[in-house]
Amino acid sequence: MTLIGLLITLLGFIISFLGLGLTTSTGVRMTMAIAGILISLFGIIGLINRSYMKTAIWRR
Amino acid sequence: MKRLHATALTAILFGVAAFAQTPATPPPAAQPAPVAITDADVKNVEAPKAELRAKGDPDGSLTGTVADVAVSDSKKGLTIADVINQVGQNKIAVNFTWTLVCGFLVMFMQAGFAVVETGLCRAKNANHTMMMNFMVYGAGMLAYWLIGFTLQMGGVGGVGNLGGVTPLATEYAITIFGKTFGLFGQTGLFLTQGHTYDVGVMVVFLFQMVFMDTALTIVTGTAAERWKFSAFIVSSFIMGALIYPLFANWAWGGGWLATLGTNFGLGKGYVDFAGSGVVHAVGGLSALAMGILIGPRIGKFSRDGRPHAMPGHDIVLVLTGCFILAFGWFGFNPGSTLGASGNGSLRIGSVAVNTMLAGMGGAFTSMLYMWLRYGKPDASMSGNGLLAGLVAITAPSGFVNTVCAVIIGLIAGVLVCIAVEFVEKSMKVDDPVGAISVHGVNGLWGVISVGLFADGKSNYGGSWNGVTGSVTGLFYGDASQFVAQLIGVSTLVGFVFVMSFVINFAIDVFIGQRVSAAAELEGLDLPEMGALGYPEFELRTPATAGAQ
Repeated sequence: MTLIGLLITLLGFIISFLGLGLTTSTGVRMTMAIAGILISLFGIIGLINRSYMKTAIWRR
Repeated sequence: MKRLHATALTAILFGVAAFAQTPATPPPAAQPAPVAITDADVKNVEAPKAELRAKGDPDGSLTGTVADVAVSDSKKGLTIADVINQVGQNKIAVNFTWTLVCGFLVMFMQAGFAVVETGLCRAKNANHTMMMNFMVYGAGMLAYWLIGFTLQMGGVGGVGNLGGVTPLATEYAITIFGKTFGLFGQTGLFLTQGHTYDVGVMVVFLFQMVFMDTALTIVTGTAAERWKFSAFIVSSFIMGALIYPLFANWAWGGGWLATLGTNFGLGKGYVDFAGSGVVHAVGGLSALAMGILIGPRIGKFSRDGRPHAMPGHDIVLVLTGCFILAFGWFGFNPGSTLGASGNGSLRIGSVAVNTMLAGMGGAFTSMLYMWLRYGKPDASMSGNGLLAGLVAITAPSGFVNTVCAVIIGLIAGVLVCIAVEFVEKSMKVDDPVGAISVHGVNGLWGVISVGLFADGKSNYGGSWNGVTGSVTGLFYGDASQFVAQLIGVSTLVGFVFVMSFVINFAIDVFIGQRVSAAAELEGLDLPEMGALGYPEFELRTPATAGAQ
């Protein structure tokens, strides 16, 4: 799950980055950048952190 | 009718007032033709007589005259060329001095971070926490001198305010979408490779080095009270050599984020005046990666996941440290003009005022937030609010007016309180000093706020990142600048975080990031450092307190 989380987080960056080359529209680039940020945050908070919480020291 | 009279009277009064304030314009006189100054003119300028100088100069009127202008050829005497060269050297001297002194201020921030973090930790970890903050300076600096500076600034291409620094001109770049993407610099290893044994390069190095160290020291706060010292040294070294310099190159060293304006028409490219993103978000997101990896301190959460307060041992240290940091920030932001003379550098006054206003705005709203929510104005969160405001204004400080600076600071103060709660209660990440919220969250907020609030009034030599004009945000009419900032945020969250996480994960596998449970319960001073921070104090942990 950590690995998937890392890949999703990276994917968010790639989506924002691709917006540069795929379009010249400011609105579309803005949308892609915001979507990329949200996907990255999901990767960090929803996947990576959750994966570590499962084995957290306070659960033992 | 009465209204008409009143209007007429007002018009007359205003007309009189306007007339009274406008002096009569004399007819234009014929302008004399300009006369060229020759070497003979400068030779006629008399120096103070030697007998006068021998009597001393209590009012300073005899010191700093034509006698002090360096003459290149004593046979020719003083020439126009000598005078012009002296003017140029004076400008660069002012800028060198300004940048160096500001760098010294930023260096002193290490002391601020050290006491803030130590004060927020328990007394049994005082030595260990101080040592991390002390040695991050050494480990980071060594890595940065060896390779980090080269990667960051080796291709910057020129800094006009500091005399050019022309040796730093080799950027490794690739081509994507038909555009050049600068990735890292290649000149400057050991500050000797590629003719970088240069006075201007040395000034750039000192100033950038202390910025880099600021980013590194943020991580020590989040991982405090459980970070193995050997792992900390390795992690800090790699961050100073690779993680920080890479993003700093993209933003400040002529890399691809800086060229988003010239390549893709996005405002003036990614803009980060003094490093909300480059320094604070990089540090804060690396701290988040470490916080997740290393896990919470023993006792921070109960089995049902409820967090427990683990108060620091010295609030006096904490708030003193915050003041030291606020003082150092006057080097951090205004110093980022890299000069006080030329290219719009006189805006340093505005930058300094924005810095102090936003910092206090942050302290004020965080104090209010805690007071309203919990019934008391929390001291440590007020300190964190101050730092949050300062972090947030770091990127926009050079481009916004005072009203926007206050708004940015006020929002930062609330944001840090909400973020601290979210990180602790929802994410269950243990951050003893609140570094993720102060530097990570508000670093990102600072980057975004440039894209919102930059008012288009700044003028640093007529362009920024190679794009003519002034940095202008969404609220002042340029939506594309906001997009450039969002691309920067996405790079920080999606790339820098992942890189930090992977590197620290590898360190965890090979060295181990966390101390043993026994060492953690005892306190890290003896197991890790071999000496207590307060050897004459009797330290009471919950276990010993229960026994008494």
